[in-house]
Amino acid sequence: MTTRPIVSEPAENLCEVTFDSKLEKRIADTLKQYPTPRAALLPVLWLCQDRYGWISPGVMRAVAQRLGENPAHVEGVVTFYTMFRTRPPASYVLQVCRTLSCAMCGGKELAEHLTTKLGVGFGERTPDGLFELHAVECLGACGSAPVVQINDDYYESMTPEKIDAVLETLTRKA
Amino acid sequence: MPKLTIDGRVIEVAEGTNLIEAARQAGVAIPYFCYHPYLSVVGQCRICLIEIDKQPRLAVACATPVADGMVVRSETSDRVREARKAVMEFLLANHPLDCPVCDQAGECLLQDHSFDHGLDTSHMLETRRTFAGLERRMLGPHIVQNQNRCIHCSRCIRFTQEISETAQLTYKARGNGVYVDTYDGTPFDDPMSGCTADVCPVGALTVKEFRFRKRTWKLRSVPSVCPGCSIGCNVWIDHHEKVVYRLSPRENAAVNATWICDYGRFLAESLNRHEVLRPQRQIDGQLQPVDWADALASLGEVLDTASSLRVVASANLSNEELFLVKTLLGGARRADIVVPVWTGEQRRMKNGSGAWLQSLDAHPNAAGARRLGLRLVDHGGLARFLYGAADVTVILDPLAHPFLETDEATQLLRVGTTIVFARLEHPVTRLASWLLPTPSLACNEGTFISQTGAVQRFAAALAPPQQSRPLWSILMALGGELATEELPLRSPAEVFAHLVQTEKGFAGLDWETLAGTTDTAQRERYHGG
Ligand code: SF4
Ligand code: FES
Ligand code: FES
Repeated sequence: MTTRPIVSEPAENLCEVTFDSKLEKRIADTLKQYPTPRAALLPVLWLCQDRYGWISPGVMRAVAQRLGENPAHVEGVVTFYTMFRTRPPASYVLQVCRTLSCAMCGGKELAEHLTTKLGVGFGERTPDGLFELHAVECLGACGSAPVVQINDDYYESMTPEKIDAVLETLTRKA
Repeated sequence: MPKLTIDGRVIEVAEGTNLIEAARQAGVAIPYFCYHPYLSVVGQCRICLIEIDKQPRLAVACATPVADGMVVRSETSDRVREARKAVMEFLLANHPLDCPVCDQAGECLLQDHSFDHGLDTSHMLETRRTFAGLERRMLGPHIVQNQNRCIHCSRCIRFTQEISETAQLTYKARGNGVYVDTYDGTPFDDPMSGCTADVCPVGALTVKEFRFRKRTWKLRSVPSVCPGCSIGCNVWIDHHEKVVYRLSPRENAAVNATWICDYGRFLAESLNRHEVLRPQRQIDGQLQPVDWADALASLGEVLDTASSLRVVASANLSNEELFLVKTLLGGARRADIVVPVWTGEQRRMKNGSGAWLQSLDAHPNAAGARRLGLRLVDHGGLARFLYGAADVTVILDPLAHPFLETDEATQLLRVGTTIVFARLEHPVTRLASWLLPTPSLACNEGTFISQTGAVQRFAAALAPPQQSRPLWSILMALGGELATEELPLRSPAEVFAHLVQTEKGFAGLDWETLAGTTDTAQRERYHGG
């Protein structure tokens, strides 16, 4: 399995946002599936995060305008959900589970290992902008604990050795 | 109408009334934070828990409509008292105990409910949650935010969504870290931003202009009407020791519910400004002080002997004053009277039924002038009026129209005798032959008529400073000097009673009940604290 890196738009490109035709089409298609524009807010934000890598205030404003909402409402929603990124992310976002099942199967050690290995704390990123580490709660894959999610992919039944190998592949690819 | 029992009191209320309002009518105060009579009901804070007979669980009074035969217990129920104690303890777990230095103290619902329903101890040993950088920040030009004090009732947010409709405020983040903010930290410049501080039950949002100027329990409140435009929002003049500290909204469902716009709110300070403080007369090109008795006697003569008399009245004057002007000067003295009006900035207000009232008329009483049959003129009309000559000109209020400030107007007013009644220095006061000091609205009493036709009374908060006197009292005194039949009227109340008898537009009204001294106006002020 090869996880694709996140390609994120730099902040200076996202001050004033106009959706390109491809994104606009996806938004228009999405809107058709919901009874009101407000109801489509979450899926539209996903499309934007997918396109830009993260959601800047400029993106929020563009979304608000597109859906006829106030930008404050959009920002309220974006900041409520932890999975929306409000800063440009690293190429690989590591989310290591620290809930019970994983904790009992070595998740704690795995998390500690990752902090020393990458030399960063939770919520921080490596200086080269390659990795970003987060501690999260149950990822819903307890059966194969401990679990680390990297971008959109799950890496299950992890050990320090296995995750080292994964990180190496990803670094090499970059 | 459903009939129910609340804490042993039987009451009949309208269908659809919620239990908080029903209890209020029964004389039982159910505590609330998130509930506000003019905002949507969200049932968020849980302090209003009550017990209903035959229902196993406690219910929130704010979101429970009355039903016939309901038996409700509030303070008479042990379970309710205990639940409220628990709610209070949770709210206070993170609330800073900074009441001595908090400007909301004295009008804080958290203090009140803590006093009535809280515990005097806490299980909390942990450090309190704080919001770094949000302890004392300007959320907008008028609102200071201290997020540490916020109890997350969402009243401020609902206000901007439902009332002012700017939807500028929102919650950000989640759980324990939720805070109130604008989009991307942009300034909160809602034209009614001050109301968010009114509805904030705690000291999380306070008004910059009032903060730390006066402990709230020292303020005395007098019912008045905002002089900012023709909508006529009902306000309290909050004052202490001869100083007006703020205007706050006074409840009136038909006009302004419990709101006022920032423009009106911040007129408060202007009510303290008095620059013309004694009667003066132009002698050898200089204004010289004279005493009232002399001034009145001489003016009586000037007016009695004037061959032609014209009066620039003002839509800022009360009905009583306008009536006295019309009778004393317009009647036997045949004065030509105009009331200038002009189009000001647009003001908007939302009433209790959610309808917007709009005004482009910068005066509080143009409707009164009209109802009294006076002639209203615009800019052109006023200019033409002043171009016509007269022996004596009376300016009752230099702020009646901006045209009076112009060189053109002052040139015209240099001809003949000009009698000016004023509070502030103005180009017209400098050329006056006679200058008489009148005080601000805060020192006056009378009635205005709003653009929708409501006759509204305002009361005097302060005594006029130094030698200034309200226009009505000067006019009455002048009436005594004039060689006409005396008007047997001694106060605005008597003038009003006379109006009720003589003018169709005032028939059936009663001075006593006009000042908003009804129960609803008194209920919990602005539902803040
Ligand atoms: S700032 Fe005040 S009004 Fe707004 S949510 Fe917090 S406590 Fe409620
Ligand atoms: S506890 Fe880690 S995936 Fe469920
Ligand atoms: S007032 Fe009823 S829940 Fe807040």
